[in-house]
Amino acid sequence: MQLYELNLHEMIEGLKAKKFSADELLTSCQNRIDSLEKNLNALITRLDDKKISNPSGILAGVPTILKDNICTRDIKTTAASKILGEWKPPYDATVWKLLRDAGSVLIGKANLDEFAMGSSCTKSAYGATKNPHDISRVPGGSSGGSAAAVAAGYVPFSLGSDTGGSIRQPASLCGVYGFKPTYGMVSRYGLISYGSSLDQIGPFARTVRDLQIVMSVLAHHDEMDSSSFREKNYDFSYDESKLNLKGKKIALVKEFQSFNLEPSIANAMDKIKKILEDEGAEIIEVSLPVVSKYSLACYYALAMSEAHTNLERYDGVRYGYTVQDASGLKEMFERVRSYGFGPEVKYRIIAGTCLTEPSRCDEYYVAATKVRTLVAQEFARAFTQTDFILQPAASSKAPKINELDQIDELKSYEADLYTLPVNLAGLPGLSFFTGYDDDNLPVGLQLIGARWSDPEILNAGIVIENHTGSPKIANGGLN
Amino acid sequence: MPELEFTPVIGIEIHIRLKTKTKIFCSCSTNTDVPPNTHVCPVCMGLPGSLPRLNYEVVQQGMLAGMALNCEVQPKSLFFRKSYFYPDLPKGHQISQCDLPIVAGGFIEVHDENGNLKKIRVNHLHLEEDVGSLHHSASDGRLEGAAISYVDYNRSGMPLAEIVSEPDVSSAKEAVEYVTTLRRRVIYSGASDVELEKGMMRFDANVSMKCSDGRWGRKVEVKNMNSFHALEKAIEYEIKRQKKIMLQGGEILQETRHWNDAKGVTTASRVKEFYRKFIVEPDLPPLIISQEWIDKTKAMFPEMPDVRARRYVNEFKLTPEAADMLTDNKALADYFEACVKAGAEPVRASHWVRTEVLRILNEKALKIDSFNITPDSLANLIKRIDAGKISTTQAKEVFDAMTNNNLSLDEAIKSCGITEGGIVGDALSSIIQKVIAENPDVLAEIKSGKDTKGKKLKFLQGLVMKETKGQAKPQEVAEALTKALN
Amino acid sequence: MKLTKEEVNDIALESRLVLTEKELEGTVKFINNFLTMLDSFKELDLKDVEPFSFAETLECPLRADEIHPFENTQGIINQSAHVEDNLFKVPRIMEAQ
Ligand SMILES: [Zn+2]
Repeated sequence: MQLYELNLHEMIEGLKAKKFSADELLTSCQNRIDSLEKNLNALITRLDDKKISNPSGILAGVPTILKDNICTRDIKTTAASKILGEWKPPYDATVWKLLRDAGSVLIGKANLDEFAMGSSCTKSAYGATKNPHDISRVPGGSSGGSAAAVAAGYVPFSLGSDTGGSIRQPASLCGVYGFKPTYGMVSRYGLISYGSSLDQIGPFARTVRDLQIVMSVLAHHDEMDSSSFREKNYDFSYDESKLNLKGKKIALVKEFQSFNLEPSIANAMDKIKKILEDEGAEIIEVSLPVVSKYSLACYYALAMSEAHTNLERYDGVRYGYTVQDASGLKEMFERVRSYGFGPEVKYRIIAGTCLTEPSRCDEYYVAATKVRTLVAQEFARAFTQTDFILQPAASSKAPKINELDQIDELKSYEADLYTLPVNLAGLPGLSFFTGYDDDNLPVGLQLIGARWSDPEILNAGIVIENHTGSPKIANGGLN
Repeated sequence: MPELEFTPVIGIEIHIRLKTKTKIFCSCSTNTDVPPNTHVCPVCMGLPGSLPRLNYEVVQQGMLAGMALNCEVQPKSLFFRKSYFYPDLPKGHQISQCDLPIVAGGFIEVHDENGNLKKIRVNHLHLEEDVGSLHHSASDGRLEGAAISYVDYNRSGMPLAEIVSEPDVSSAKEAVEYVTTLRRRVIYSGASDVELEKGMMRFDANVSMKCSDGRWGRKVEVKNMNSFHALEKAIEYEIKRQKKIMLQGGEILQETRHWNDAKGVTTASRVKEFYRKFIVEPDLPPLIISQEWIDKTKAMFPEMPDVRARRYVNEFKLTPEAADMLTDNKALADYFEACVKAGAEPVRASHWVRTEVLRILNEKALKIDSFNITPDSLANLIKRIDAGKISTTQAKEVFDAMTNNNLSLDEAIKSCGITEGGIVGDALSSIIQKVIAENPDVLAEIKSGKDTKGKKLKFLQGLVMKETKGQAKPQEVAEALTKALN
Repeated sequence: MKLTKEEVNDIALESRLVLTEKELEGTVKFINNFLTMLDSFKELDLKDVEPFSFAETLECPLRADEIHPFENTQGIINQSAHVEDNLFKVPRIMEAQ
């Protein structure tokens, strides 16, 4: 057994008991990256820093990897876009400050779809990341690098961001646990924005208990983020007395039941329903007619409207890629942006601009903000009837990279249907491992809770994990 | 054929910088007296990942400024993103309340051409951030033709209030009165110093013309006015220009024109103004203002200058002109009232403040806040005049000594050689004896009875007064002199 | 309502993006399909629904008006390739038309 194979809580215990040193642990993880990175391309930047800021912190000596849309002072941060060039932020994102203050050591910045726009991790200026369970397949996205890094044993946990499923879907495809907290639970300060009202940072890990540990570090009020929660504290500690689903109601969404699921996902749903019933939970149905039918359009309308304004700042004047010989300002902006942004980002900028034009704004953008109200109301009603909602985290298993071209853009958006309503309503969602299919690919599902029910969802996740077992570390293309 | 008449229809937009220590969305200082790009941070530089945080004081000042315009505070307002590409705008959009403002529905009173009061309605005041400043390297500093521009982001994120009027203004004169009155009221509210020379107040005007034959000209937006004078001239120019076109049967184009202060003309903007509908600023939840906060603000809202002037006329019996002059500057009016409160007679205090105090402030280019004679001291000086202890002439001498040499009232009186309470009794007698001794011929003339008109007596009296440096009462001198001569 | 190639190109230019012919064709198709998808909003009665909703009814927190200078302004300035004497230098703003 190699040190990198340990789960987060095992590493913490081992370091504390001095079974091994932080240096040995970091070396083991670095060696793992050395052997797999050429297969996976999960990282944009590798770091060999071994400095531990807080030797007595809860994560002292534990290596981690951040999605490369999270700002790290003096360390290149790219959002996987050419337009940021070699930008080194002059400040740290709050989440990185919290992890570092807890003693964690940053050993890499993970690949993503450019500006987190995508669900394959192939739309990166730094090349595609491969799924560590089958390197001919995508890891999912946009936080594909963060998910792959945890699945392949680079690190015991990593951070991603989730705007419409960007944590939960790759977690499912890579066979790890991924958690999208309630909007406002984790500070967004220093996260390069895509759709600001939808974006949320969250962790990946190989056990739910490990997610709890990371959430206990991240879930703090941050005055730098006006959407950060203020009122109370949330308890993410591991507590066996809370691992009980007896009498809990777990709902399936009625409107999704007519959808044809891939057999492996349908089987997983049956398996988990059985586990939940065995645990004494009651499986019910809730109806979400607006959510199921209008979320997709609503989500993309809002995400693109916000995205195009978030990306207006990239003009080459203050940071990032630029040109020196433009004859005029307009030419400079056009050259910087036309070269700097990839095709998917350009689509979304133009779509967002189009939707918010004075002539179309009410019809599309304002209407979408109203549909969002209905979506949130519908979820709120549903959570008066049920404790959790159970549904897939992805509509299919990981696609082959060479088959992606055949998928139409908008078709690929539909793949997010199970995850993006959660972002519209700002809900917490856990993507959890259920087992492997016939191709030995992992299959994940999703548990959704009411706003601020984050600790309860993770406890439910542990109950399920106790039945399914935790995922194995993927071999990352090694034989 | 009757002569055509034209009525100008003018709306005015004003940007005012609010008085705060820090910028609207970050903790950078608002002091601009520093080298370029010194007071900057990830937020006001629009760096990726940074998020805005609203300054409490900006909201407070916005409420006060709104109340100064007779507006109602809105319990819920929202911020939006207003997009355009320009290098002084680091995020490529400006965060502004535009559609859902913090205060709305007010008015400012001005005098129309007949001297009657009329209300210019204020549609709303909204909060927004300022942009950076551009320096152009063309030799004449102009925007157009400059080969290179330099951007300084110290101003980026300064708190602004944009005040939008209804199109109720009918002349350049009304426009100037509107902005002058508005400025005075806003300064009074404490929301802004509105220092014009520091660019703390900028104007845009929407000018269109209504013709008596039923024709309406299109609205022209005139930008780039930074002084009352420029506003007046720009509107006058635009009225003339549009009238001429309409008289010739031409069409007014709906366009944006820039005021060229040096040439005194407006010119059509070559840049296509592109206004996109705003999206909600997703990083700032709605601004909720409680009734409690509104009440608290109302309680601290000061008496407005026009109300105050009216009170001075009624309560203190000042002339309207004097009342206007005193209330023009809140600090000056506060000074005056403090004098009155310390016991000075109001009319006399008003006179002293308007003449002597303002004279010194002008001479020394001081502000009343840094004037070294306290209202209490001035009141005491005035009280001594009224008590007949010193003459008005002496008082002015004392006043000058107090301010020039930084003396207390008593020190100043002493330094001017004035004996408190005047020269009486033996002191006065000995001066009289000395004067008589030095003027035997005059004494002889009086004694001879030739001085029937009392001319010589008056002459001696004058010499005594001179010797006492005016510190004796003429009445007493006359009595004592007569007594000494008999 | 379908957008023409010219309209889409204008929108792209407003966003300061110059598209190749191939990119433009792809974008036209994408935008039009996307707008068709959004037309589904018309099936809903949104007349009395509150717009501009947030994930939760939050109140904007207010920051105290206290100066906290950013300690790494040089770290901001150093990231630009256009700085001269601590100013950001940009090419002329008005272009010849
Ligand atoms: Zn700042």
